Amino acid sequence: MTAPPSPVATADIDLGRLTALADVMLPAAHGMPAVSDVRAVESYLAQVLGWRNDLLQPLVRAVDALDPSSFTVDRLLALHEEDEDAYVALTTAVAACYYLSPVVRELIGYPGQVAKTYDPFAYTEWVAEGLLDPVVGRGPIWREAPA
Amino acid sequence: MTYRADVLIIGAGASGGVAARHLAEHGFDVVCLEQGDWPDRSAFPGARPDWELAIRKDWAMSPNVRSRPEDYPVVHDDSDIEPLMYNAVGGSMIIYAGTWPRMLPSDFRVRTMDGVADDWPISYSDLVPYYNAIDQQIGVSGLAGDPAYPPHDDYPLPPLPLGAAGRRVAEGHNRLGWHWWPEPNAILSAPYDGRRPCVQRGVCTSGCAEGAKASTDLTHWPKATAAGAQLITGARVSRITMSPRGLATGAVWLDRSGVEHHQEADVVILAANAVGTARLLLLSADDRHCPDGLANSSGLVGRRLMMHPFSVVTGWWDDQVEGWQGHFGASITSYQFYETDPDRGFVRGAKWALSPVGGPLNHILPMRAGNEVWGPDHHELMGRTFGRGASWAIFGEDLPEESNRVELDPDRTDTHSIPAPRVSYRISDHSRWLMAFQEAKAEESLAASGCRETAVASLIPYSGWHLMGTARMGNDPASSVVNSRQQAHDVPNLYIADASVFVTSSGVNPTCTITALALRTADLLVQHRSEQRVPA
Repeated sequence: MTAPPSPVATADIDLGRLTALADVMLPAAHGMPAVSDVRAVESYLAQVLGWRNDLLQPLVRAVDALDPSSFTVDRLLALHEEDEDAYVALTTAVAACYYLSPVVRELIGYPGQVAKTYDPFAYTEWVAEGLLDPVVGRGPIWREAPA
Repeated sequence: MTYRADVLIIGAGASGGVAARHLAEHGFDVVCLEQGDWPDRSAFPGARPDWELAIRKDWAMSPNVRSRPEDYPVVHDDSDIEPLMYNAVGGSMIIYAGTWPRMLPSDFRVRTMDGVADDWPISYSDLVPYYNAIDQQIGVSGLAGDPAYPPHDDYPLPPLPLGAAGRRVAEGHNRLGWHWWPEPNAILSAPYDGRRPCVQRGVCTSGCAEGAKASTDLTHWPKATAAGAQLITGARVSRITMSPRGLATGAVWLDRSGVEHHQEADVVILAANAVGTARLLLLSADDRHCPDGLANSSGLVGRRLMMHPFSVVTGWWDDQVEGWQGHFGASITSYQFYETDPDRGFVRGAKWALSPVGGPLNHILPMRAGNEVWGPDHHELMGRTFGRGASWAIFGEDLPEESNRVELDPDRTDTHSIPAPRVSYRISDHSRWLMAFQEAKAEESLAASGCRETAVASLIPYSGWHLMGTARMGNDPASSVVNSRQQAHDVPNLYIADASVFVTSSGVNPTCTITALALRTADLLVQHRSEQRVPA
């Protein structure tokens, strides 16, 4: 596995302002923490932008365009119409930061894309159990074609 | 003195790899030009935490989004579906799902049996020996006896796990009395030919770091080069060259620095996918032999592009099924609504494949089924659905239309200033009827399988993996580009090995058939080598 790229400097982004916006997008609700509760932006934004530095400039635009004091989900949707790249950068960056948090992953039961082992011959059990018998019993469903 | 190969292959993907191996193992001196590079599996993103970010940029399936130096832009402003591909040794197999269905007997006879499009000049039985051989070369995991197909040889490996979702939908189909079967996949369920088996990570479409998913960089190129084939990477072909007598003499290509080279050959095989091959034939126009494009006396080069209209129907259960995990090929398949039923009001049908749904970003920034939800409701949606779903991926048969085509764009170029392809494609009314029917039936399937809710993502634009038909096969030079051996009618030492030659699309994933056809073409070249016309 290659090492992740170096974190990108986030000096161009007002992290407090972005966190305030992110808390509207992903607030504390239904047993889940808000973005600020798990410090997702402070902890992971540099890493996310290191992986996706193409998001940086449109994210700066999004943060500059949105006023945290009056920000709502409806305003977010309006951004989609005004500047789609900024919308995509904001939603992608906020979601990526949030779901990188181990606390959040634990709460949703997501361990990441992990390697698993299995018995390749376990299929003999469900075949023996008769799971395919109705399919086989109905007979062929393909059409004979002229040569 | 310029080195002249027996065979020059353009493109090192599915068809190029298969043809190169077979020809090299039968004593041909093979050179292949590939614009991409060897894939570096240590750089594949699937096991990394940024996996779902990577697939939206550097590992996007769209060459336009990826924009790597080896990619060429595909102009698709006038297309309902965005063409997707990957440029490397192994080609788009690096990012394909790995499902490995054969076409069916009726797929080769749609004019005779259903009164639409055209029959192929070959039949299912012509391909059976090559399907059987390619299954062994690839290492296919599956279970013989599927009543949707004529009986055929068993697969070399047992089927991949059904998974919790596959099991539930299988039981649902048994309740409905509908067909299902474990999907054959070009993904190893057990060690095979020096390769490791699948670990069910669920990231097949962004490259298989384990090497369990077959791609010709693993399955064919090492054997082809061991047999003497020469593979040149970073080599972008700009045109096929011709002799005064109308035979292909090789190709002009540019290296990464933009330095021009010419590779001479007795025979040229195009294996650059149905967009890339059509582009090269059009780029090879010359005023004397072929003002409208090489091998284009029929006027059909670039026309009849088919891309398989694609919908996804996702269902969610009340409990966890680890819906992010499992092979992305497919656990089970259904051909219940594949063959024509005149009562439906349309002909032909679609194949369904049950796949995982992805991780959290794919869930909330969906490229498939579902909507973005923000605010407090976001968490309610995630709690209700994440890890609890599976998707029927539905490919409908795409009937050929001459207005769906690849041309050269007058303005856009690649990094070597070669004109980019421009794709014009409209989903037909027939496809819309067909897919609406399939989507409704897939919702019925998931409901019968116990899903609490379902969602349909209909006719997804970002889905042009299956590029077919732009240099069709046929017996009549007036209405086809290549003959049944995939030899150009106009240029007897020019062959096309990729899915450009497809007469119709069928409703199944094409790579299995692409490779079987490439093997057949190479095999017939070997058999007829003494009769092959070559330049002086």
